[in-house]
Amino acid sequence: MSHTHADTIAVRVLAVERVTPQIKHFTLAPIAGGELPAFSGGSHIIVVMRGAHRVYRNPYSLMSSPNELDNYQISVLRVDPSRGGSAFMHEQVRVGSELEIAHPVNLFGLAKLARKHLLLAGGIGITPFMAQLHDLRLGDVPYELHYATRSPEHGAYCELMSRAEPQRCRLYHDSEQRLIDIEGLLSRQALGTHVYVCGPSGMITRVLDRAHALGWPDSHVHYEKFSAPPTGEAFDAWLEKSRVAVHVLPDQSLLEAIEAAGVDAPYLCRGGVCGFCRTEVIAVDGELVHNDHFLSAEEKASGKLIMPCVSRARCTKLVLNL
Amino acid sequence: MNVALKQGDIYRGAWGFRNTPDAVRRFPLPFPEDRYMYSVNIEPHIPGPKGSVIEFPIDCDEHYVEECHERAIVLEEDPLRYQALPHMMSAQWDTLELGMQSLSQSYPQHFTLTRLGRHWHWINRPLGLDQHFTFGDPASLPRQPLEYITRQLQGDWVIMDQRDNDLWCEGGMVTGPADWSMDFDLGMSFKEWHGPVPLGHEMGVFDRALRFLLNLRLNEPVRRYNWTMTVHPRLDTSPHNYDRWGPDRGGVTMQNVADILHLRTELQGLWRLPRSNGIVFMVRTYMLSLRDVASIPKWARRVHRVLRDLHPALADYKGLARHRPIAVAYLAQFDDGTPTTPGTAPE
Amino acid sequence: MLITGIRSKPVYAPLQPDLQGRYHLMVGHGVGAAPLSRLLGDLAQAQPAALQRTRIWFVADAVASAASTEAFQAVSIAELRTFNAIDALLSDLTAAMDQALMGSRLYVAGPESFMGLVMRIADRFNLAKDEVRAEECGTLARRVHCIHCRATIDNVRTNIVQCRCDRWLVVRDHYSRRLAAYMGVMVDAECPGDRPEIKEVFL
Repeated sequence: MSHTHADTIAVRVLAVERVTPQIKHFTLAPIAGGELPAFSGGSHIIVVMRGAHRVYRNPYSLMSSPNELDNYQISVLRVDPSRGGSAFMHEQVRVGSELEIAHPVNLFGLAKLARKHLLLAGGIGITPFMAQLHDLRLGDVPYELHYATRSPEHGAYCELMSRAEPQRCRLYHDSEQRLIDIEGLLSRQALGTHVYVCGPSGMITRVLDRAHALGWPDSHVHYEKFSAPPTGEAFDAWLEKSRVAVHVLPDQSLLEAIEAAGVDAPYLCRGGVCGFCRTEVIAVDGELVHNDHFLSAEEKASGKLIMPCVSRARCTKLVLNL
Repeated sequence: MNVALKQGDIYRGAWGFRNTPDAVRRFPLPFPEDRYMYSVNIEPHIPGPKGSVIEFPIDCDEHYVEECHERAIVLEEDPLRYQALPHMMSAQWDTLELGMQSLSQSYPQHFTLTRLGRHWHWINRPLGLDQHFTFGDPASLPRQPLEYITRQLQGDWVIMDQRDNDLWCEGGMVTGPADWSMDFDLGMSFKEWHGPVPLGHEMGVFDRALRFLLNLRLNEPVRRYNWTMTVHPRLDTSPHNYDRWGPDRGGVTMQNVADILHLRTELQGLWRLPRSNGIVFMVRTYMLSLRDVASIPKWARRVHRVLRDLHPALADYKGLARHRPIAVAYLAQFDDGTPTTPGTAPE
Repeated sequence: MLITGIRSKPVYAPLQPDLQGRYHLMVGHGVGAAPLSRLLGDLAQAQPAALQRTRIWFVADAVASAASTEAFQAVSIAELRTFNAIDALLSDLTAAMDQALMGSRLYVAGPESFMGLVMRIADRFNLAKDEVRAEECGTLARRVHCIHCRATIDNVRTNIVQCRCDRWLVVRDHYSRRLAAYMGVMVDAECPGDRPEIKEVFL
């Protein structure tokens, strides 16, 4: 089945707020008026940014309340060095700017059967939890949010947290030597607790490792990563079905290069997690560089599959069945 | 749309069910070619030709009112044909929104939805309903949201939760099933509830279907077709009342097969739900007597060949064993061997 | 209609200790004593420190009695409890699960009908499939759910069984964890009175 992403929503930026030196908060409203699509907390939207030379498509978690659909709110961390997307958002996008967004996708939803939710946020990773807190407050299931930032100034929304839910939210600032006691937290949760972590890679890895070591089943451990696709050497690809040649720049993902060449490749999370962009490799005169978390070890070793959203190749020509 | 009719005598009793000539021609034939085997056969649920069953996302046809009455009769006798597990309330509201939005946009002459923030006003003219309520507040509706809306929709509806890389059957309104029980399957995972379907597992059909559905996106519903045959135009062929419809299977003869044996197509629609991130599954059933099938020359030849060459395991699973030979014998008279054009359009 | 070869039928495997788990609760009935003893021995050998966080709960029956529980007493664990009846174990299990922590593992051994009841409690606590292990032993007798009158018939050993609603039911392999029972459907709906020979198949 062919897949197009033509169905985006045109939005206008209603407000831009600098929350910390690196983080800007954007409020987006539909140009056509009315409401934006309803969504579940933990969802993200792909924001399509048309730059002078390139089109950027970056995922950002929705922070606003799922019950208030006049606008969407996202926060963007200015990554340095930026591949272009976050720089674009910080430097080119102002009040009144027009953008396109895709419909929300949720790969980080709250488990409906959880007996308790344990939320662990690091830095910009607070964003998906902001939306979920709205629903959690209305429900009966116990929850805790632990939010770590470098310092109070670097913590977006810390003030909001400490005002809203002092009993359920704890703040930690590296600068004050207060770190989340991951081992302690994970050791004392009741059966049926789900843990959710969103933040820097290191934090996620630590939580996944400790959870596994402490006997948590994978089904009860949820994470969302915001890493940009890894960069690498430039290489060329040939799309056999589309009969199109694609040149992949060092700081451009294979998927982005395919899109820049005018071919509509399937994608969903753009982060190597969901498996939707799985593509068959017909031939490669070199080696594949798998950066995804979806393919099995056998599939990666087979050399027959690749996830273009994050993976690359070290070669002169990669032939894809696309 | 027939508004005047006798309740209780359409899909049971005197079998008052009839398709007008328009309904016959618009029947979704489930066979695009002269043979049938399982496949994932999922396609985008985008608008189809005007007048077709896929013109609109949720189809209301000339049987709308009588089918809603039939549902009410089944529920009166067996309320457990509607269930929803407690954690699925947001999926219930999602489905209510889908149903009301769809019907009011597709058939504005029959349905009106007015929304002022969370104050909604719903008018269903064919059923004579006028309801003000607060979206999200179950106390403001006379029934649970899913029950409320599905009593006004044709077809069976199942809500699923997505978790742990799987889909789970967590509720629904199932009053016209082709031999399955939502009550029994409640709480099952995708492959568990498809457990009784032969061949599909070996073929990897369910693996592929599940993987696809896990990535189903908002605003991009999909559909597929399934089929079976039913003796008499009986919608409610559930295991629960098998003792009522089971005996009908042996009562098919060459004299009555044309009128009592019905080809039964399921148009299945699947939507990602926004607030719950679940999936709602619609099973919309269309029935056509074999006589009406035969009235369309291409369909007569096509259906004859499909039934004649059907894999025995499939025939057995679909409950066709007893009357398949009679159906094939009846349709044979219309099959002169002329090739059929691909596709399902009536000719 | 498919009777056998249905994929919803639970699949069991010999119990093995999950060394990733921190707290081990082993629950058994009757001849389930043997797999539990073996399991306990395996855990003792692989991770002796785990024994202080291991509990065994056991319901004896006519077959498995003092001899079985002796095997449990040979190893020093946190708790050994014996129950006179399954219901007593199930109700205490609910309380225990309410107090249990993440990192717990539940092991069940015994006839399938017993295990189904235990699993139903586990489901209420959102236990993941990785947190439970089950080994079937003893009688294959089934709990059957009459799809027509919704009654439950215990201890069914035959291919067809008569329900209290008088219908004769064929016992299918289609299994519901929620009901902890197999589906029984009227066997002679299409030809009333035309029933297959009764055979003991779930022994």
